Amino acid sequence: MSEVQKKKYSDKEKNNIFDHEFMPHIDSMYNFAFRLTFDEDDAKDLVQDTYLKAYRFINSFEQGTNAKAWLFRILKNSFINEYRKKSKQPSKVDYQEVETYYNSDSVDYNITSDLRIDAVKDMLGDEISNALNSLAVDFRTVIILCDLEGFTYEEMAKILDIPIGTVRSRLHRARNLLKEKLHSYAKNMGYDTEEE
Amino acid sequence: MEKKIDSSGEKKLKCGDVSKCFQLLESILDGEDKDASKEVLKEKLSKCQPCFEHYHLEQAIREVLKNKCTKQSVPGELANSIRQKIEDIK
Repeated sequence: MSEVQKKKYSDKEKNNIFDHEFMPHIDSMYNFAFRLTFDEDDAKDLVQDTYLKAYRFINSFEQGTNAKAWLFRILKNSFINEYRKKSKQPSKVDYQEVETYYNSDSVDYNITSDLRIDAVKDMLGDEISNALNSLAVDFRTVIILCDLEGFTYEEMAKILDIPIGTVRSRLHRARNLLKEKLHSYAKNMGYDTEEE
Repeated sequence: MEKKIDSSGEKKLKCGDVSKCFQLLESILDGEDKDASKEVLKEKLSKCQPCFEHYHLEQAIREVLKNKCTKQSVPGELANSIRQKIEDIK
């Protein structure tokens, strides 16, 4: 986004876009920010910064395109550039460990889980939320974008600046990791995870 | 889930191509494969036990995530504070 922009929208149009296309996504934006930062104040700052940037660069937003995806991309970039450094994210070592694991598009679909459906359905909000939060940020992010926010693979590719094939494989790996976490919760809950 | 899991001889207990099938099932669940008809899916799931189980487990996980992880309440003053800051930079 360049500082030099042609003036596309009048002030009235700007306010209209801001109020009707940007602000309605504040709940989703805050939920995303909170799950990235795990801190209420950081999440508030991140959402606020995102909206200020969105307003400042509103002329580069094309009306009729997906405002939510546009906002999420700004939020994700702000997080990487400004918050990731200071927040309590997994250390570099953790990150590199997963990096070799996920930076290829080929995925092994043969890993089956013995997690049971009824155990999943009985999960409490806290358990599922903790399992999600325990994933490394890149895995967590694809699950949030896909399952919580309903973005398409193509939108996710744009938000994250990665190819669609990588979206697909990262998502699959993220879900496998999540299933492992849920499986251990299920065991603790006393669910028999063996085959009937 | 209209059908109960049954272990009658109707369903294959081993999937012929897990990679291809699971990838397809996940695409369908993610809404990426809109061409795959409901009939094809139903047929597939009725014939293959691993596919049936994978599909329903993945579906259940998506549902709990969607229902239980999106209820973070937004601090009340946030929207106003954003509007105020926008007024300041106008």
